[in-house]
Amino acid sequence: MADSKKTFLGTFNNGMIVENPTFTLMLGMCPTLGVTTAAMNGISMGLATTFVLVCSNLFISLLRNIIPDKVRIPSYIIVIASFVTIIDLMMKAFLPDLRAVLGTYIQLIVVNCIIFARAESFAAKNPPMLSVADGLGMGLGFTCSITLLSCVRELFGSGSIFGLQMMPEGYQPMAIMNQVPGGFITLGLLMILVNFIKQRVAAKQALRKEGIA
Amino acid sequence: MFGKRLFPGGIHPHEGANGKAVNSGNAIEDVPAPKRVTIPLSQHIGAPAKPVVNKGDHVLVGQVIAEAGGFVSAPVHASVSGRVVEIATAPMPSGLHVPAIVIDNDFKDEWVELHPAPHPETLDAAGMQKIIREAGIVGMGGATFPTSVKVTPGKDKTIEKLLINGAECEPYLTADHRLMLEKPAEIIDGIHLLMLAFGVSEAVIGVENNKPDAIAALQDACRGTDGIRVQPLPVRYPQGGEKQLIYAITRRVVPSGGLPIDVGCVVLNVGTVFAIDEAVRLGKPLVQRVTTVGGEVNNPRNFRVRIGTPVICLLEACGGLKSNVIKLISGGPMMGMTIQDIEVPITKGSSGILALGPESAEPEESACIRCGRCMRACPMSLPPVRMDQYVRAERYDDAVEVGLMNCIECGACTYVCPAKRLLTQSFRMGKRMVNVRRQEAKAKAEANAKAVEAEKAREAGKEG
Amino acid sequence: MQKNLIITTSPHLRDRATTASIMRDVCIALAPAGIAGIVFFGARAAVLIALSVITCVLAEFLYQKLTGQKVTVGDWSAVVTGLLLAYNMPTTVPWWMAVVGGVIAILLVKQLFGGIGSNFMNPALTARAVLFVSWGGVMGAYPITRFMEDTASGATPLALLAAKETVGDVQLWDLFIGNCAGVIGETCKAALLLGGIYLLVRKVIDWRIPCGMIGIVFICYLIYGGFNLALKEILSGALMLGAIFMATDYATSPQTNLGRIIMGVGCGLIVFVIRAFANYPEGTSFAILFMNVMTPLIDRYTVPKYFGEVKKNG
Repeated sequence: MADSKKTFLGTFNNGMIVENPTFTLMLGMCPTLGVTTAAMNGISMGLATTFVLVCSNLFISLLRNIIPDKVRIPSYIIVIASFVTIIDLMMKAFLPDLRAVLGTYIQLIVVNCIIFARAESFAAKNPPMLSVADGLGMGLGFTCSITLLSCVRELFGSGSIFGLQMMPEGYQPMAIMNQVPGGFITLGLLMILVNFIKQRVAAKQALRKEGIA
Repeated sequence: MFGKRLFPGGIHPHEGANGKAVNSGNAIEDVPAPKRVTIPLSQHIGAPAKPVVNKGDHVLVGQVIAEAGGFVSAPVHASVSGRVVEIATAPMPSGLHVPAIVIDNDFKDEWVELHPAPHPETLDAAGMQKIIREAGIVGMGGATFPTSVKVTPGKDKTIEKLLINGAECEPYLTADHRLMLEKPAEIIDGIHLLMLAFGVSEAVIGVENNKPDAIAALQDACRGTDGIRVQPLPVRYPQGGEKQLIYAITRRVVPSGGLPIDVGCVVLNVGTVFAIDEAVRLGKPLVQRVTTVGGEVNNPRNFRVRIGTPVICLLEACGGLKSNVIKLISGGPMMGMTIQDIEVPITKGSSGILALGPESAEPEESACIRCGRCMRACPMSLPPVRMDQYVRAERYDDAVEVGLMNCIECGACTYVCPAKRLLTQSFRMGKRMVNVRRQEAKAKAEANAKAVEAEKAREAGKEG
Repeated sequence: MQKNLIITTSPHLRDRATTASIMRDVCIALAPAGIAGIVFFGARAAVLIALSVITCVLAEFLYQKLTGQKVTVGDWSAVVTGLLLAYNMPTTVPWWMAVVGGVIAILLVKQLFGGIGSNFMNPALTARAVLFVSWGGVMGAYPITRFMEDTASGATPLALLAAKETVGDVQLWDLFIGNCAGVIGETCKAALLLGGIYLLVRKVIDWRIPCGMIGIVFICYLIYGGFNLALKEILSGALMLGAIFMATDYATSPQTNLGRIIMGVGCGLIVFVIRAFANYPEGTSFAILFMNVMTPLIDRYTVPKYFGEVKKNG
């Protein structure tokens, strides 16, 4: 963890940027590659995950002193599964079309590594408020990442972003972007970009520090 | 393959100006003894020789001026008569500075009294070894390993076959070729004496096919002798490599980390055999050798030259260097070393002095394109491309695993590499690193063992 | 007499072959097939070839400039990639596809993985696969040559061979000289063989991969459908182009002799399986790409014993 003093904002920032689940921790690759063919899918998937993550982090943090160590994994699953069921039923009720597109990936949030990893490595050791911050940061970091990914894929694969036509009239969609290889390629390229920017920022900060010193 | 006498891999290096074709026609000439000779005390592999003369002493040609410094060592003899000027350090072709005895020539060319062996045919192994040792003979193909050690096999080993290396596979070099052409009788006689002394029934002289005249001369000379034959070999570098030559002639494979004697063979260079013959028949120690001077010189020559003669004397005798010379090499172009100082002396191992033009400049390295040519060129069937990757990544254990320590540094892989990668150079570095680490590990283990023992002793002391 | 002498370590002689000379040889060997393509399919073939080559060279140049690397476009390898990419396209594709393909080949497949020698799949073939998956409609529609009758549909020889009743429609001579539907560089087997022989003579490639690949396809079809079909099969589709020029790509094929045979046989078997039993009429590119990915594994397990290697454990 970069910031040793654990503040709400610091923890949020850590999840959002420093330890971004997609580009740094490389967690939750399954939905990252599976549902990111359209920007709408990406952002809904991200928000659903964020909801589950925040709630599960909060509850696991509250229960962290009660849950016996030996059965913590099943306990986490029960907590997480409850929230997944809630979001699944809500989507069924209010957003049936979207749920049909996302399909089984919503239920698969139960076994999403991000949620497990945060429960295990953060919520189980930190107080509730910080855990909520971590859940929000990680969840929104995930949401931003896969939305970005799905925007790129939708732009090249369908010529649009959020269903709005972006490419000129004669554009012939690049079908590979809607398939799994396209997901891998885009993810790899974005990862290069993100790491490149991070390095540049880090180098600049190092320079500034030197200047002060 | 197909019954051809070949080892795996190998290459056909090209030559520039004044290569074998030109220089093999030039008879061996004596180059006049210089005003001053510098005779290094480490002309061989092993312990340096210890000087037995002092500054100001008068010495005769053939007089011992330094004696062997150990079992793996060789004595050094004065190559001119005159006065010892100093015992100082002198640069060697390797760039290292080693102790050397400097003698001013009095041009009287007075020899010490020579003691030829009285009955050469009846010499036994010990007698032969003594003569070879006292004559200061070392491997004259360039390896400079003391010959007396080579012909002293371990207790449970016997010499079954004597292989004579007349391959001379390095481009440009013609010294051995001329020697075989001009002194076939002496070479055969030397082989014959060695066979008698060591009780060897078979001797084979391996000569590359590009020297038909030398093959014919040797075949003529060995007519009537028993057990000596000449084996023409295909032209392919490094045919003269010890392991490659043994395989080509006997089909025996020297095991990794082993010596030729492990498969019953001893390999001697033709120059070495000639020196042995002179030592036995005439009692002459090794004070001169045949050296090729070729490449970008005005008149390439083959010289009989006194040990300790500065390279510049030879270059002057050849009419000087051409203007495009950028490199001087001692030895062959594939394995020789660059000379940085033209005052460097000729040593027992100087098979050639070559001047090379701009084409010998180090080309710029580029990325490996994985063509696999190095693997096909390697005469040891090693995977140079992987060894190189491992060495550069400092993964020495992995490099050793794929065979790094078996590399004979022949340069074939580097020659063929289209990306011009410095493979041989990388392996040399890697081997050195591995050896350093092994020594460190050994020292550490020894230190640990000592510490443990000391601890034990202390414990014992406490208890007692 | 004293000169400025250079000090280096041995060896002091180097072979004249360089990366550039090898790649130039490949370009020379590819030339006849390109000329044949232009003859059979018209000037548009030339336009596509030029576009593809220019894109590849430019992409490599710009990438290396922008990332501050040493510019290595002088080694001709980008030209080879450009030629191969264009040879794998039908003349009917829109021009921008050659550009997109070139950028994918050089940037995505070659440079991002470390440049020459470090790419794990053949750049031209991977780019072709991306184009094929993205725009299968145009990439998969093969035009007829200028010398074929209009009534003949754009069915490739392989499509005709796939159905038993139309095997007889395929003329051996047409296949050999290239008067059949297909992509730019694959049709003229005579030109490809000429290039292959040149590469073999110049020792740029060795016989193991092409002979293994074509040989195994031939043998399989000999057993599967008889001599006539086998002969027509090896003269159809991209097999020759792939076996001679793409499966032999240094960076993505094994370096050991045994490994190269495995590569050839593996490619050949996959081609046969795809052609004979799968939905695609042609499988050369996918066969080669699959074996490309296997290459590090093959190399690892086929390292020859070194000279004098002592067996461990006795």
